[in-house]
Amino acid sequence: MPVKANESGPDVLALARKIGLEKAVHEFPDDVIAAAQAAARTRSDLPATNNPADEPWPPMRVRTPS
Amino acid sequence: MTEAHWLTAGEIGSAYAARRLSPVELVQALLNRISALDPQLNAFIRVDIEAALDAARDAEKDIVAGRARGPLHGVPIGIKDIIDVAGLPTTCHSKILLDNIAAEDAAVISRLRAAGAILLGKLSLHEFATGGPSFDLPFPPARNPWNIAHHPGGSSSGSGAALAAGLVPLALGTDTGGSIRNPAAICGIVGLKPTYGLVSRRGVFPLAFTLDHIGPMTRCVGDAALLLDAIAGHDARDPGSVPVSCSRFGADLERGARGLRIGFVRHFHETDLPADPEVARALDDVSRVLTQEGAEVRTITLPPLRELSAVQRLIMQAESWAIHASWLRERPGDYARATRRKLMIGAFHSAADYVHAQQHRLQMIAAVDDAFRDADVLLTANAMDPACRIDDEDTLARTYARQARSPFNLTGHPAIALMCGLTKTGLPLSAQLVGRAHDEVTLLRAAAAYERASEWHRHRPPI
Repeated sequence: MPVKANESGPDVLALARKIGLEKAVHEFPDDVIAAAQAAARTRSDLPATNNPADEPWPPMRVRTPS
Repeated sequence: MTEAHWLTAGEIGSAYAARRLSPVELVQALLNRISALDPQLNAFIRVDIEAALDAARDAEKDIVAGRARGPLHGVPIGIKDIIDVAGLPTTCHSKILLDNIAAEDAAVISRLRAAGAILLGKLSLHEFATGGPSFDLPFPPARNPWNIAHHPGGSSSGSGAALAAGLVPLALGTDTGGSIRNPAAICGIVGLKPTYGLVSRRGVFPLAFTLDHIGPMTRCVGDAALLLDAIAGHDARDPGSVPVSCSRFGADLERGARGLRIGFVRHFHETDLPADPEVARALDDVSRVLTQEGAEVRTITLPPLRELSAVQRLIMQAESWAIHASWLRERPGDYARATRRKLMIGAFHSAADYVHAQQHRLQMIAAVDDAFRDADVLLTANAMDPACRIDDEDTLARTYARQARSPFNLTGHPAIALMCGLTKTGLPLSAQLVGRAHDEVTLLRAAAAYERASEWHRHRPPI
C-alpha cells in the first residue's frame, strides 16, 4: 500500500486502518505516520525504474530430487 | 602473560596446550569480570554460569587426557540472543518473545558444541535486530566500553560491547544491514559478515530472509577465521545454504598484502555520504598502510551508495513487515518505539515495489561482481561517523543511516570491519574490506595484513 511523500496524516492513518493497524493508529499515530514517511523516502531513493521485464533476484529454482 | 580476559582464541588454545591456563580458570576469570563490569555495560541478557562451568570442566578433562577437538575446544563464546540455544529463551531482546524457549540448537550452536566451544550466555541486541538502543524494553541497552555514555552500535550491540570489554574472546552476531560490522566499528573490534549462504541461518530468528547473515565477532582477524571454520558449512535445512566445500579460511593469513589489488571505493564517503573528517583521514591511512605493505590500491566506482542502500532498505522493510505484521497489528505496544517505527515501514510498500527492488538487486550484484575484475578486495568506509551519546536520539537517527555496510547484504559479498584509528575523543574508527563471493580466504588475508601492520587491534578501552 504505497503512500506518497506528501500524503496527509489523516490519509496515512486511514490507509493504516485498512492494512489492519487500527491499534497502532489508536495508540501510536505518530509512529504510523513516521513509518509511512520513511517508506516514501526509501522509494524516492530507488534508482530510476528499470525494464519491467527484468528478472528479479532470486530466480525461481526447482528443488533437486534427493 | 596477557591477562586471561584479553587473550584471543588463538592464544587461549596455545595456553591450554602448554598447560599455562585451563578452561575452568578462564571461564571463572570471565565470569568474575562479567560480574564486575556488566552492570555498567548491559552486554549480557543472560549469563549461563552453571552450564558454562560444567562445559569448562568437561573440556578440561578432555584436553588434559589428550582429546582436544580443535582450536575452539574450551574457548568461551557469547551468543546474540536471537540465536536458539536449546532449553534457553531466545528473547530477541523483546517483550514479544520473553517466554520463547528454544526447542533445539540453531545450526551454528550445534557446530560450536561439536567444536568444543563453551557457551557463556546470551548477549543483548537491538530489539529483533533492528530499532536502535532503546530504554523501553525488558532489558537495558548495551553500552560502549570506550565511553559508557555512548552507544555501542548494533544490532549485535552486546556482542560488540562484550568483546571490547574483555568479557568474552568470541561472539556470534547477525547482520541484515550491517549489524555485525556496525558494533564492530563502534566498539573497535573485528566483525565478519560472510558470503550469504555460507553459514546456516537455521534457528536464528529472521529479520529479512534474503539479507540475513550470521558471522564471527572477535578481537583479531585470526580469531574470525577460526570461528568461521567452526560455523561455516552446508545445511540442507536452510534453503539459502550453499553447498560449497569449506576450506581453512585462515589459510593465507600470513601471506601479506604484496600483490593484492585493492579497489578503494572513495565515492561512498567522499561524495555520496561525506564522512566525518576523522573517518576520511583514517580511511586514507588504511590505503597508505596497504600500499606500504605491497598492495596496489586503485580507485573503484560502484553504483551510488544512496541507490544501493535504498534497494537494500526496501527489501528489508518488506520482508521484516511480513514477519512482524501480526504482532504489529495485535501488540504494537509491546515493541520499543524505535522498533515499531522501523518494522511498520514495510506496510506502506506495494508488492510491485518489492519486485522492482529485487530487479535492481540483480543489477547491483552484477555491478559489484564486475568491480572484482579489477580488484581482489574492496576498501570502503564502514560508519561515516563515530559513536554519539546513547541518549542523543536525533544524532542517533541521523548517523545510523550514514554507513556503507548494507550494500553488501544486498549483494551477499563477504565484508569485514576492522579498527583503523581513534578519534580525538578516544572513540574507535573502522574501515570495511569486501571480498569476492566465497573468497573469504583472500578477504581475511588482506585484513590480517592491515591488522599486522597497523596494530590498532591491540588498543583497549579504558574500562
